[in-house]
Amino acid sequence: MKVHVDRKLCDNHGQCAIAAPDVFRMNDDGVLEYDENITDDQVDEVEEAIDVCPVQAILLASD
Amino acid sequence: MTTTVEAPYFNISDPAFAMHSEAVRNARERSWYARTNYGIAVLQYEDVSKLLKSPKLRQGSARWPEHNGVHSGIFYDWWTKNLLVLEGEDHHRIRRLLNPAFSPKMIASLVPRFQALANELVDAFIDKGRCEFVQDFAEPYATRVLTILLGIDENEWPKIAQLASTIGLALGVTLKQDLWKVEAAVEELYAYAEDLIKDRHQNPGDDFVSKLVLANRDGDRLSDPELRNALVLLIFGGMDTTRNQLGLAMQSFMHHPDQWELLAQRPELGGKAVEEVMRINPTVTWVTREAVEDFEHKGLTIEAGTTVHLFTQVAGTDPRAFPEPQMDLLGEHAAHYGFGGGVHHCLGHFVARADMSEALPLLAARMSNPRIAGDDEWMPDSGNTGPVRLPITFDKRS
Ligand code: HEM
Ligand code: SF4
Repeated sequence: MKVHVDRKLCDNHGQCAIAAPDVFRMNDDGVLEYDENITDDQVDEVEEAIDVCPVQAILLASD
Repeated sequence: MTTTVEAPYFNISDPAFAMHSEAVRNARERSWYARTNYGIAVLQYEDVSKLLKSPKLRQGSARWPEHNGVHSGIFYDWWTKNLLVLEGEDHHRIRRLLNPAFSPKMIASLVPRFQALANELVDAFIDKGRCEFVQDFAEPYATRVLTILLGIDENEWPKIAQLASTIGLALGVTLKQDLWKVEAAVEELYAYAEDLIKDRHQNPGDDFVSKLVLANRDGDRLSDPELRNALVLLIFGGMDTTRNQLGLAMQSFMHHPDQWELLAQRPELGGKAVEEVMRINPTVTWVTREAVEDFEHKGLTIEAGTTVHLFTQVAGTDPRAFPEPQMDLLGEHAAHYGFGGGVHHCLGHFVARADMSEALPLLAARMSNPRIAGDDEWMPDSGNTGPVRLPITFDKRS
């Protein structure tokens, strides 16, 4: 599965990094970094991140 | 570095200090920050946005009880262990366990009840052509939405509203004097929370509190005291804010009758209406942070321990970010920070957005030409603001 964050929408709130720390993290500058390719056992976490993103910027697609 | 020398100054504890003022707007034009009697205040959009999410800053309200001479007791324990003031993994762990109950799907399922509630409240005053908007709509709506969400008996709402407001006294500088009242209110709300938790342990369903009781993340769960603390925080954080924001929305629309008509004709703009009102006329006008370590921002050294007020309301009309800052439901605007931002971004924003975006178009569809009837009373225009009393008259739409 592939994660995509719409960078035009993303406002670096970091809620995804709280919900799914294995996939999303905030760098020292407070800017989002994330893994695009995730494993099946990370899907639940990413779905939680999708739900909590305040601006709904995260998408998950099958590759 | 010239900005350091020239930075404007505000005494933000002065009762005459007002957010919606020429002085604050002028300061924003000259400088990205101002000095205050208690830390610095950030004024421009770009800097508020950046610093709100900066890992160099943490929640500034954590030591509020201590600053006011309160070092122990039931209020102290509630405050110092709640999500709003926790940081790092202590915060994230609780937030992760609370999150699933706030999913957009969960909230969407409540929308029909929000609509029915709004109509019921309007039915009670629509034929009179007048109402006291806070007492007749904003307060019962905001409170009953929370009782619906938490599954508390809706008839209990006046009691819950009163307890939540009493805890609100804790945010005032008279905390020490009011402490006994605040503590009694926390204790009473704890009793409601404990009843709910006990009941859902025995009869779990697919409602909001059951979700929290059952929340489980890699074997980790909320203890009953943690959940009790969180439920009281939701009541405290969700009621007065929503009530005040609805009152401010009414005020903004009364200043912009064309926008009210537009909303009446196009109810699908309800979401936009909420965003616009929260951008130009938010109830939470600033959030406070504290520097964790020394760092530099735009040539200014901010030392560890410095209090940093982020003036989110002032940022919301900064012409640098909003070339056309006036209220416009059809405009495309940058995000506002009326729900804060970063790790402490409002947990209940989907709830508040969903309930207000139903209420506003419904009100517009039923009342035309709303206007202030006089005898209105307002909280100070700083900190958390809104109407105390807002009598209005209107024409009933047929
Ligand atoms: C119009 C209504 C509301 C407004 C304007 C509002 C505003 C805010 C703001 C500005 C913050 C961040 C404070 C800070 O960073 O210091 C916040 C946090 C919070 N809000 Fe709201 N809120 C509203 C409704 C709600 C509702 C309905 C709930 C619960 C159902 C809620 C629960 C919370 C919680 C739990 C936090 C703490 C989050 C954390 O620290 O992780 N709020 N809210
Ligand atoms: S939660 Fe959303 S806005 Fe925040 S960093 Fe993640 S993707 Fe960006």
